[in-house]
Amino acid sequence: MKLIRGVLDGARPLFEEGGALKLLKPVFEATDNFFFAPGSRTHHAPHIRDPLDLKRFMSMVIVGLVPCVVAAVYFFGLRMLAMIVVSYAAGGIVEVVFAVVRRKQINEGFLVTGLMFPLILPPGLPLWMVAVGVAFGVLVGKEIFGGTGRNLFNPALVGRCFLALAYPSKMAASWITPGGGLFGRLGEYVNVDAITSATPLSAAKNGVFASVGDLLWGNVLGSAGETCVIAIIAGGLFLVVTRIANWRTVVGVLGSFALLGFVLRYVAPGSFGPVGWHLLAGGLLFGAFFMATDPVTSPVTNGGKWAYAALIGVVTLLIRNLAGYDEGMMFAILLGNIAAPVLDELAIRYRLRRLGATR
Amino acid sequence: MKLRGGYNVRITGRPSGAVEVLPEPDTLYLPLRSRRFNFSEVCVEEGERLSPGQAIARDPQNYSVPLIAPRAGVARLNAAEGHVVLEDVTKIPEEPYHPSEDIPHVPKGLGSAGMKRHKLLELGAWQFFCDAHSGALPDPFGTPRAVIVSTVHLEPFLLRGDVQLSKRLVSFTRGLEHLQALLEYQPIHLILPKVDSDLASKVRETLRGYAWVSIAHIPLRYPFDNFAVLARGLGLKYDPDEPVWALNAEGVLAIDRALTLSRPCTVKLISLGGPAIEDPKHLKAMPGYPLRIILDSRTSSDPFRVLNGGGLTGEVVEPSQLGLDAECSGLTVLPEHSDREFLGFARPGADRRSYSRCFLSSLRVPPAERFTTGVRGEHRPCISCGFCEEVCPSGIMPHLIHKLLYEDALEEAERARIDLCVECGLCSFVCPSKIDLRRELIDGKGTIQEELHAGEVEA
Repeated sequence: MKLIRGVLDGARPLFEEGGALKLLKPVFEATDNFFFAPGSRTHHAPHIRDPLDLKRFMSMVIVGLVPCVVAAVYFFGLRMLAMIVVSYAAGGIVEVVFAVVRRKQINEGFLVTGLMFPLILPPGLPLWMVAVGVAFGVLVGKEIFGGTGRNLFNPALVGRCFLALAYPSKMAASWITPGGGLFGRLGEYVNVDAITSATPLSAAKNGVFASVGDLLWGNVLGSAGETCVIAIIAGGLFLVVTRIANWRTVVGVLGSFALLGFVLRYVAPGSFGPVGWHLLAGGLLFGAFFMATDPVTSPVTNGGKWAYAALIGVVTLLIRNLAGYDEGMMFAILLGNIAAPVLDELAIRYRLRRLGATR
Repeated sequence: MKLRGGYNVRITGRPSGAVEVLPEPDTLYLPLRSRRFNFSEVCVEEGERLSPGQAIARDPQNYSVPLIAPRAGVARLNAAEGHVVLEDVTKIPEEPYHPSEDIPHVPKGLGSAGMKRHKLLELGAWQFFCDAHSGALPDPFGTPRAVIVSTVHLEPFLLRGDVQLSKRLVSFTRGLEHLQALLEYQPIHLILPKVDSDLASKVRETLRGYAWVSIAHIPLRYPFDNFAVLARGLGLKYDPDEPVWALNAEGVLAIDRALTLSRPCTVKLISLGGPAIEDPKHLKAMPGYPLRIILDSRTSSDPFRVLNGGGLTGEVVEPSQLGLDAECSGLTVLPEHSDREFLGFARPGADRRSYSRCFLSSLRVPPAERFTTGVRGEHRPCISCGFCEEVCPSGIMPHLIHKLLYEDALEEAERARIDLCVECGLCSFVCPSKIDLRRELIDGKGTIQEELHAGEVEA
C-alpha cells in the first residue's frame, strides 16, 4: 500500500501540466482514485454523503457476474479468460482514447461492459473478433453519445449485434461443447474451428428439447455466460437484493414472456414452444438479470420500466417462436433501449400531470 | 397523513438528553445576520448601556423583528465585523415588559389579539414562526388558515423535542392556549412522533380536552418534520393569501414566556452533536454566546467543520461568526475528510451506513456511522439509478430536473415542479454519481424566479 502510494506520488509530476505524459492524465487519475478513495470534500449542504459511489455500484455488477464467469471458464476452458482480457484491453483503449480526447475522466462503466461482452458471445469466437466487437460497441454504443450515462444502447449488445450482422456464419458456428466432470475444461484452451452444432434453441425449432437438468446446470451449447442457469440466478438475485438491478425489470421481462407464452400456447397450439423450458433456455435469463436492468439504457420511471420490460419479454417470445432467428433477446433489449426514452417520456408526462395538481 | 420518501441518516454523536447550563459569559457576540434575518437597522448607540430585552437592531425587510439583548451590558458596534458586541455582561433581573404608548400598525379590529401579537413581535417570540410553505417570516397581523406546531426535529442533529419538553410541559400547554387565543377558529395541528414514550403519552393525555388541537403522528423519518412536507401531508395547499403558520415547540415555549410572564426570549436550548464532539448533549445558552467557549474543549478531532444546523441542510459557520445567532437550534460538528482509504470502494463495508444495500452492513441493523465531510467518490454523469426519486419527500424527480437544468430548459424544469423541492438534501446524499442536486435545485429555483418571473412580483 505504501509502495503503491509512493509510485503514484512519484509519477504524479509526469502527468501534471508541463509533464511528459500530460495527455494521459485521465489514466493517472483513474489509477490513483482506483487504489485510493478520493479525498475530496463537500462544499455545500448536505455536508455528509452516502458511501456508495459509481465504482462500488459497478463493482457490484462485476461481483454479480462472477458466478457466470466461473461457470463459463469451467464449461468452455481458459479461452474464456483470454476473451475477457482481450475485451477489457480493446474496450479500455477506446475508453481511454476518448477520455484523453475529451479531457474527461475515465468512467467505470466499461469495466462492466468489458466483462459482460465475452459472456454473451459464442465461446469459440476468434479473439480478434472479440476485440473488434467490443471496440465497436464501446465506440458506437457509448462514446459517440457522450460516454457513460448518456448512451442510448447497451454497449455490449451493440457490439454483439455488430458481430452478428457482420460475421453471421462465424457467430452461428463457434460453439464449444461444454466440458464435464470435476474440472470441466478448466485446464484446456480450446482452439477455434471447434464444433459446429445446434444450440438448444435452434434444436428446439426442430422439435428436439434439451433436458431441463442440462439447462439448469449449463451443460449445453450457447453463449459463454448464458448457459448455466444456476449461476445466472445466483448472480442475478444478488443484484436484485442489493438493488443494483431493479426487480421490476426482471419480473416484467420474465413475467410478460411467461404470460404471453401460456396464452399463445393455448390459443395457437403447435406453433409455440413450452414456456417453462423457454424461460431457462438461451439468453433470456442472462438478459433479464444483467442486460435489461442496465440503469442507463432502461427507463428511469417505474411505469416506464414495466412497459419496457413487457416489451422485451413479448418481443423475445415472438422472435423465438415466429421469426427466423433462434434467439430474440438481443434484438428485444435493443428495441427496448430504443423505446425507453419514449416510455419514460410518457410516464413522466403522466407523473407531471399528477404533480401539477399538487401544492 | 400521507408522507412519502425520506430516509434516516445515522451519524455518530447523537446528542444525549443531558442539558448542560453554560456559565454566564463576560461578552456576548450577537450576529446581525442569521438564516432568515438581516438586522440592518441598528437602534442603539456605541457605548450605550443596554437593559435585557431591549431591541438592539431590527430587520426592516421582516416586519421589523428585533434583535434582543439577552443580558444587560455595554454595546460595542464596531468591535467585531457583522456583530453587536455586548461587553461587561451582568445578570440584572429582567423587568416585565411595558409596552410603549404608540403601537405602530396594529390593525384595528384585532383588539387584544393585536396587542398580544405586537408583544410577541417585540419580545422576540415571533421569530419562531414561519410560513409552512415558503419558510419566510409570516405577517404578524395576518390571518393564517391553520397552524402547524411540531415537536419533532429529525435532521442529524438538531434540538430534540423530548429534551425540550420534558420539564416544561405545563408551559407548552399554556403556550398552546395563548396561541389559540390569537386565532379565530383556525385549527392547530400538533405533530407528535409515532412512538410510545412516557412523554408522548403525557402530552396526549394533557391535550385530550383541547378540541382545537388536532394531533397528527408522524414516523420518525427525515425529513417528515419539514413544515412544507407536513403541510402537504395535512392537505393544506399553498395559497399566498391564506398562509399556514408553523412553529416548533421552542416557539410555543417562547409564546408562553412572552404572554404569561411578559419576558423576552433570552435563553436558548441548542443541541451540540456530530462525530467530532466528545460528549454530545444539549446546552442551555443565550443568543450571542461565544462559539469559541462552546467548541473549545468539546471537540475531539482536528480539523473539523462546524455547521449551524444539521449535517444535511446546515450552513457552515464562518470563522467570522463569533456568537450563536438567534435562530440556531443546533450545532453539528463534522471531522473534515482527509485520509484516502486504500481500495476504499472494494471494502466489505460492515461499518458503512448506506441507503443502498451494497455494503455488508445491510446484513444487520446498520450502526451509526462516523461521517466526515468527504464526497466519497468521483463526480460522474447521472446513470438514472432513481435513488433520488425514491427518497424525495416531495414526489418530484430530481434526476429529471437535473437534466432539464443542464440543458437550460427552465420552463420544463418549472413544469417538473422544481418549486415543490423542500431542500432537504437527501437527493444529494444518496446520489452515487455525487451530483450536487440540492445546490442545483436551489440555484435552478433562483434562476427561474429571475428569468421567468422577474416582472411578476408585486405586479
